[in-house]
Amino acid sequence: MTPFSPLDSTRLSQILSRRQFLKLSGVSIVGISVLGVLLCKGETNAPLIIMEQAQGIIIADPTLCVACRRCELACTEFNDGKASPAMSRIKVNRNLNFGPKGAYAGQHGQGTWGNELVTPDFCLQCAHPVPCANACPNDAIVVKPPTNARVVDVEKCIGCRMCQRSCPWEMMSFDSEAGKATKCFLCDGKPKCVEACPAEALIYLAWRDLTDKVPIRVAPTSVISPEKAATCNECHKK
Amino acid sequence: MAKYGGWAGKVLRVDLSTGRIWTEDTVEKYKDYLGGTGIGYRVIWDEVPASTHPFDPANKIIFAVGPLAGTGAPCNGRTAITTLWPTCWPQPLVATGHMGGQFAAELKYAGYDAIVVEGKAEHPVWLSIVDKQVQIKDARHLWGQGIRRATIQISEEIGPEAAVAAIGQAGENLVPLSVVINSFSHSAGGAGGVMGSKNLKAIAVHGTGGVRIFGDKAEWEKLIQYHLSLLGANNQHVVPGSPQPWAEHYNPASRWVASRGRKWEASTPAVETGTCEPHNLNRIAYRTNNLAYFLGPGDIGWKYTVRGNGCTGCPIRCHNVLKVPSVSAKYGIPEVGQNTCAGLFFGRAFFQNFPDGPKGLTAIESCMVGMHLADDLGIWCNYSQLQRDFIKLYNNGTIKSKLGEKESKSYSWDKYEKGDPSFLFELLPRIAMKEGELGTALGLGTGYLLERWSIPEEEWKKDSKTCYWKLGHPRHHTSDEAGQCGVILNTQFNRDAQCHSHTNFTRNGLPFEIQKQLAAELWGSPDAVDVIGAFKPMNVYKARFAKWSLMRKELHDALSLCNYMGPWVASPLKERGYRGDDSIESMLYSLATGDRKDRQELDQVAERIFLLHRALTIRDMGTKEMRTQHDTIPEWVFLDPAGKPPFTQGTVHMDRNDIQLAMDMYYDEMGWDRATGAPTAAAYRRAGLREVAEELGKRGLLP
Repeated sequence: MTPFSPLDSTRLSQILSRRQFLKLSGVSIVGISVLGVLLCKGETNAPLIIMEQAQGIIIADPTLCVACRRCELACTEFNDGKASPAMSRIKVNRNLNFGPKGAYAGQHGQGTWGNELVTPDFCLQCAHPVPCANACPNDAIVVKPPTNARVVDVEKCIGCRMCQRSCPWEMMSFDSEAGKATKCFLCDGKPKCVEACPAEALIYLAWRDLTDKVPIRVAPTSVISPEKAATCNECHKK
Repeated sequence: MAKYGGWAGKVLRVDLSTGRIWTEDTVEKYKDYLGGTGIGYRVIWDEVPASTHPFDPANKIIFAVGPLAGTGAPCNGRTAITTLWPTCWPQPLVATGHMGGQFAAELKYAGYDAIVVEGKAEHPVWLSIVDKQVQIKDARHLWGQGIRRATIQISEEIGPEAAVAAIGQAGENLVPLSVVINSFSHSAGGAGGVMGSKNLKAIAVHGTGGVRIFGDKAEWEKLIQYHLSLLGANNQHVVPGSPQPWAEHYNPASRWVASRGRKWEASTPAVETGTCEPHNLNRIAYRTNNLAYFLGPGDIGWKYTVRGNGCTGCPIRCHNVLKVPSVSAKYGIPEVGQNTCAGLFFGRAFFQNFPDGPKGLTAIESCMVGMHLADDLGIWCNYSQLQRDFIKLYNNGTIKSKLGEKESKSYSWDKYEKGDPSFLFELLPRIAMKEGELGTALGLGTGYLLERWSIPEEEWKKDSKTCYWKLGHPRHHTSDEAGQCGVILNTQFNRDAQCHSHTNFTRNGLPFEIQKQLAAELWGSPDAVDVIGAFKPMNVYKARFAKWSLMRKELHDALSLCNYMGPWVASPLKERGYRGDDSIESMLYSLATGDRKDRQELDQVAERIFLLHRALTIRDMGTKEMRTQHDTIPEWVFLDPAGKPPFTQGTVHMDRNDIQLAMDMYYDEMGWDRATGAPTAAAYRRAGLREVAEELGKRGLLP
């Protein structure tokens, strides 16, 4: 395996010093937690924040969605043993009645009260830079093989909700019973939501970058820590 | 961690007279009644005195769901509303209404299995429930508004995910024929006025919690997959309506209407429904389209179909969305609407003809206008009895004779005669506002309407076209669909029977030989069922079928499973010999809650719940003479317009003596007294209702 094969995004066109280091060393980037230890002995103590590309992505077709929310139920029942749409990693209910603009759209928006289009929201498994991972003060959002989904390491998560403030698509979820963040982990390659959809409105595909194609819901309000900002500088600053 | 899964754990209690809000422990107090109607009947029995008027502050209204609501068990989206029923004539008795939508699930996620509302607020209020935060809020700015505006304004205040169950002007004005509606168009008839009498405009609920599944999550997933594999289309019709490449059988009467080439044509772009091979669980949502089923025949329903919609967690999308662009310019109403069954053709059902024929565009437009008005004003059709009454009273000249000249002239009867949907803008708001004699009388419900206008109930009972049954309410899937079993079931409730267990079997579309075989396995003999329209005399197996149907209906209403879909004793699966599974309910219940009960044990709980309904009916009527005073059958059941004798091919009418035998056998199956039709003290005791028997005994109401 070529260490950088997943990182062929044109966004990372610059040759970066630590990337070169990695290339030379032949180490596959599997996540910041590992690399933080492995690589931070160089010029800085800042953690490396590049994550290996995800392998898969769930995509929803709103024109096929029938608003039954079986995806939300499958996500939480089959993974967590409880039916809890509020912590589902695929999100339909918030758009169901009035669409992404909420009740202020009245009957002029989307959803059951508007034009009837119901939009399921899904995690984009962002390419670098990954907003939720970068916002986490404890580096609790890590890459998990085999799908390389960005997942919450519950051991490290302290429940501060900074990740929720960082995702422009509002795709971070929170398990209020556990007091931990949670997010789409692609069910390790067999997404329950896709299996559960009775209308074939969800599909599981090879990853592609949709971060500039899916409209954002909110402006993120989290800030990146100075340590991580130093890493950005290290790689990107000429 | 709670001992059981499934239940949210709390019953929310609200006294609007005092403003007091408190909770009870669901499992501790109501576990033996499961939830839903079980909690409803128990609260009414324990806390609402006999002879309470529905609009008295002492009446209580119970919004209740069961342990399966909000889970991934298919078809769990219905909220049961129990109260004393304002349209039940000649005296109000206990009854239930059921609404789909998102309310049931949201209630569970907020942490409640039920809400019991009592008393009367000083001024209009709405109840805001966001998880543990429960508040009684001022609704004076919402009073006088339709359901749509009230819901939007409440959603602006507490968020777009809330499920808002609101009443319209009809409920505010204490119109007995009024509804409460959540999720745009999911209504429960009869309950609107009770909320109005409490000055309660709406209950809005949003929850961020969850429903814990007690059993192993992998096992739960497997059970859900199994249940899904047994589903048919709406009403559990298990064969397609037209030949399909995979299908051994088809039946044109099936609600499984999907087919290659049949599309949701008003979706942009159009969506093909396809062959819907039953093993493909990712196509279940395409099987049903009640626009095609109810707005047909032919393909006219497909033309206006946007998509399927329905309740939380249900893959059967029976509540369908339609788009009719012409109504926007012609009537000034939104071009998109949605509903199912009688709610869908609320407007159309008033008319007797249309300029472009019964299945033309105007008929569809009348559906749109009717839905738009009724679901905003909050008017109930009483399972289309409102419209049937209107037509009969119009045609026999009663309406014109009862209205003064001035009022009569205020209606554009020429529009009505022509079939102009804009006539509905004259009629429906006046029902909601109780304006004039016609509006006021129509809103009363059949029984009180006939009384007001001095029309003997017998006139309705002998005319099969009225579909009228008793107590102010119509038939619901009766002899025309399940012979004696249908008749028995229609005698048991205090409104239309709302039971589908029987019709979901007899009309499942399977060839008769297969139905016979399944019936033999389920109820002991193939003779439990007949060919519809070629009925045979009563036998004990039909009584068993009737009891089973009744118990399952009550069980579903308590567990929160949809009796418009269940039970699931037949399936579309050829390899199973088209068998379903009679134990689905108990498997779901046991795994979700951790309280292991097999099929028979759960049916016994259902019997306990129904016995409470029976006891309440007896207590409030003040007589044990159920057989003659309550379990009555309208004359039209025994009359055949063509004079065909009973039990001959081509008639669905019944024989008087045979039906008496049917009631005997039914009472025997229930272990009740034949002479009075009242449950015996032993029957109550067997069901664990000793104190109920004692109370009735004190009142001399035991046989």
